[in-house]
Amino acid sequence: MAGYRRPYRPSEARQQKGQTAPQEPDLVPIMNLFLTIIPFLMMMITVSVSLMALNFASDAGGGAGGSGGGGGNQDKILEIHLMLRQSESLELFPGMEIREPGSTIHKLPWLSENVYDFNSLNDLLARLKEKYSETTEIAVVVHPDVLYDTLIRTIDLCKTNGFVTVHYRSPLATYAY
Amino acid sequence: MSFNSKTNKGRRQVRRKVQDSKQLSITSLLDVLTIILVFLIKNVSMEAVKISELADMIYPTTMSTDKLMDNAMVTPVKLYMDRVVLGVENLTLGTPKDIVENQETRRIMEAFFRTDYDAIPEDKKREACLVVQADAQLPCGYITQIVSVGTSVGYENIYFASLEEADWLRTYSSASSQ
Repeated sequence: MAGYRRPYRPSEARQQKGQTAPQEPDLVPIMNLFLTIIPFLMMMITVSVSLMALNFASDAGGGAGGSGGGGGNQDKILEIHLMLRQSESLELFPGMEIREPGSTIHKLPWLSENVYDFNSLNDLLARLKEKYSETTEIAVVVHPDVLYDTLIRTIDLCKTNGFVTVHYRSPLATYAY
Repeated sequence: MSFNSKTNKGRRQVRRKVQDSKQLSITSLLDVLTIILVFLIKNVSMEAVKISELADMIYPTTMSTDKLMDNAMVTPVKLYMDRVVLGVENLTLGTPKDIVENQETRRIMEAFFRTDYDAIPEDKKREACLVVQADAQLPCGYITQIVSVGTSVGYENIYFASLEEADWLRTYSSASSQ
């Protein structure tokens, strides 16, 4: 027992080196990870849409179905009428009519079929915002046959020009074309 | 069962220094579960109100967008050119024309909205949202009908789904001038 010398620990390690199995990278956990991540990532690649809000609370903007909704001084706010049909007797024309609280009316006929003059509307709204800088309210009166796309673009221009409280109205009178 | 210890005497016993690991490694399983957990936690609060783009619908484009209010109680309505779909259950109501012309369809729609609205706790009624996803080419008369019924039931917040496009005005102008 006296002659036996236990090898030093580094030597011990060296002795074992030749006996261990060759080390290969274990790819199984990585594959597991990939298999889990990829379906999740694929599921997450769904384009979520943007949203445009209208508030119909009694103390805020909004309003629909001809009722005008909302409280406050709604009769004295700017109005944008979106029209599609032509009728001289009813003073209708395809395009937009912007009515100021006084009596000023701006008419923007459409450029071609279902192509509204949004550039002019944008310029006009910018000017009206300078004129009525204290108000953020505007009403969009949309006729039933106007396309939804036209309505949303109009509301969008109102909001980008500072009229953030948009009232949604349908015409008070129902026209029989 | 006799065992003779003498027969094993002098035989050298070989013992493996490196034992084969045959245990199931739970490390990888834990990795996977951790990742799933993180994704679920991230998505669970938003998934219910996330409005994803529908493949078979053409959305209008807008520059400005509004964020869906916090803790919103959402009732989705999808208006395709040929059908109206209600709620997260995607119940087909009928055609857009039906909701204007057919009184029974309008009554069913109102009953659906009312059921959804009544299910919202009283203290969260102000967060009730009607999210309208409609095709861009749909006439507004149908939208007005939905909005009218929604507000009559009590929905104070109505959202219109759109796709964000920062310079639609420029592209619209160039397209219209061609």
